[in-house]
Amino acid sequence: MRCGFCGHEFEEHEGNVGCKNCPMSSGCKMVKCPRCNYENPPEPALIKGLKKVFSAKKKTN
Amino acid sequence: MSFFKKKGSCHEAATVAASGAKKVALVGNPNVGKSVLFNALTGAYVTVSNYPGTSVEVSRGSTAINGEEFEIIDTPGMYSILPITEEERVAREILLTERPHLVLHVLDARNLERMLPMTLQLIEAELPVVLVVNIMDEAARMGLEIDIPLLSKRLGIPVIGAATAKKIGVPEIRAAIAGSSSCAVPPFTYSRLMEGDIAEICQSLRGEYILSKKAIALLLLQDDAEVANLVRETEGVWFPGVQTVVREKRFERRESFHLDLSMERKAIVKGILDGAFKAPEKRVVTLAERFSRWTVRPATGIPLLLIVLYFGLYQFVGVFGAGTLVDFLEGKVFEEHFNPWIIEIVKLYVPWGMLQELLVGEYGIITLGFRYAVGIILPIVATFFLFFSVLEDSGYFPRLALLVDRVFKTMGLTGRAVIPMVLGFGCDTMATMVTRTLETVRERVIATVLLALAIPCSAQLGVIMSLLSQTPGALLTWGVCLLLIFLLVGLLAAKVVPGETPMFYMEIPPMRLPQFGNVLTKTYTRMQWYFMEILPLFILASVLLWLGKITHFFEKMIEAMTPVMASLGLPKESAVAFIFGFFRRDYGAAGLYDLQTKGLLNARQLTVAAVTLTLFIPCVAQFLIMKKERGWKVAIAIGLFVSGFAFGSGWLLNRFLLATQLL
Ligand SMILES: [Zn+2]
Repeated sequence: MRCGFCGHEFEEHEGNVGCKNCPMSSGCKMVKCPRCNYENPPEPALIKGLKKVFSAKKKTN
Repeated sequence: MSFFKKKGSCHEAATVAASGAKKVALVGNPNVGKSVLFNALTGAYVTVSNYPGTSVEVSRGSTAINGEEFEIIDTPGMYSILPITEEERVAREILLTERPHLVLHVLDARNLERMLPMTLQLIEAELPVVLVVNIMDEAARMGLEIDIPLLSKRLGIPVIGAATAKKIGVPEIRAAIAGSSSCAVPPFTYSRLMEGDIAEICQSLRGEYILSKKAIALLLLQDDAEVANLVRETEGVWFPGVQTVVREKRFERRESFHLDLSMERKAIVKGILDGAFKAPEKRVVTLAERFSRWTVRPATGIPLLLIVLYFGLYQFVGVFGAGTLVDFLEGKVFEEHFNPWIIEIVKLYVPWGMLQELLVGEYGIITLGFRYAVGIILPIVATFFLFFSVLEDSGYFPRLALLVDRVFKTMGLTGRAVIPMVLGFGCDTMATMVTRTLETVRERVIATVLLALAIPCSAQLGVIMSLLSQTPGALLTWGVCLLLIFLLVGLLAAKVVPGETPMFYMEIPPMRLPQFGNVLTKTYTRMQWYFMEILPLFILASVLLWLGKITHFFEKMIEAMTPVMASLGLPKESAVAFIFGFFRRDYGAAGLYDLQTKGLLNARQLTVAAVTLTLFIPCVAQFLIMKKERGWKVAIAIGLFVSGFAFGSGWLLNRFLLATQLL
């Protein structure tokens, strides 16, 4: 994914964690850019799934 | 530092990892597509870990080419082999300690001239370099022509044209990795004076180094402390001799060495690119580029910012979202249809009065909590996050950071603080957490105060704007008040909290038209997150308020706050909004919305209440985060200061408005 602030490209799992101990909720699941720490929304599972289906199709073609 | 030990030939220097794999280091500026290339090369098996003793993360993965295993290392972004940031230091250390079999320097074809000096440094250090000119597709679109073979001939190293995002050039890169690497011998020289200086220092160096002596000499001349230490260790008794030569040379140049060297490197790059790089006669300045320049210059950037705020925030979020949409959802759907219907149903099936009250009473879970959350807050945050995602996807935020850097400097902050401030308009709680990324404690404290005080969160902002937009004078007063307070408190804080303002440097990604899919995805995700977070809180707040009501505690609190409200010139009912506001900022604003629709506030009272409420105590969540990030003492101090300041400002504003009869 691409950071919405600095444009840094990184994998979702590379993002920094930090809000897991937020007292008001169980963490907001935002993905923090490893370079600038801007909080990016993660890709929803639905869209990730769709992308996977499409890329799989492309490969088989 | 034992890593600068003996250097034989490059082939000897190439190490073999514990697993037996040769190492390949990806180096280059940020934003040149290094990570994309890394992913294209490595696939699934990737480990990310902090570089020992630092907070810098380094990714490693492996790939097999022609049956041989290679370890790929994605180094942090670096601009030069002379490190300034911790990231650059780590990147250089990887080059030195891990002795890669191959160094892939990835650069952006569109910024070839600016990035080639680092290639020169890598060649000069006699590292086994392969140059990857990335983003060739974009460069071609801009009309730039790059003669890759000629570039390769002039640099004396393999050069590969690529567009890694489209997987173009990846097979060639894999082939280069599998091929035998060779030491580059620099085919370029500096001025006679410079070469003379370098030669003298090289002669005084007797030890063996991983980097070429020429590179070591240049780093010494540039006053690189790490390299100086290393040379001290390696040279032992000979070090004072080296030091004398270096000092002499530096003195002759009156410390202008950095500048001289970078000028010479630029000239060399110009020579190399002559004929190998062609920009179109009339360079195609894309609209995005022109626009990008306008956004960062104060003369055009500030008006542009105001236009963005007016159309995005005022018209779209304020008038459309908080006006039209809320009128429809809250006014029509809830007040006219849903609430009467649910009240009837509950009254019919739930016999117990207390429970009726809890569900559909004045502060009922459904009639208040749910109505606020869905009818008022949801349309506002939806439009806000849509606007926010459009700005985000266009690449506007880093430009905003540059634009405000100057103003922020006077407040002891840098443009970097834009990240938490911008996030604050979404939710102050998460923004407070993000302040930990600011460089100095001083910056963090100042940013925390400003967030707690003067940055309203999205929902609060939307509600307040929709309320005040009905009386434009009120909106203007509110805006001016907050801006003044923001600047004033910032300036004061910078005076009170000791320390220096750090430097701010930022690489700006290209501007682009927001992509519809991206914007929708981001908006959807943010809304989902927000809604999931607020709904339980709104329900909890409803329960607490209901408890307060049946135990009459709530009335006593309102009673207790009546004098405070009176001193602000507000009716006692407005205490409710402030009590709501402590649960959540947006809840308080929604309470204000209710009061206004009931016709309890005139323009002056509305303005005073809005200003006080915006400044007023951060919500519970934000307070807890402040405590967590800054500790009890600072959090309580900020909380007290903010509350006092809010009511003080409200009082002052009320006096002012009464005296001037402005509203
Ligand atoms: Zn970022």
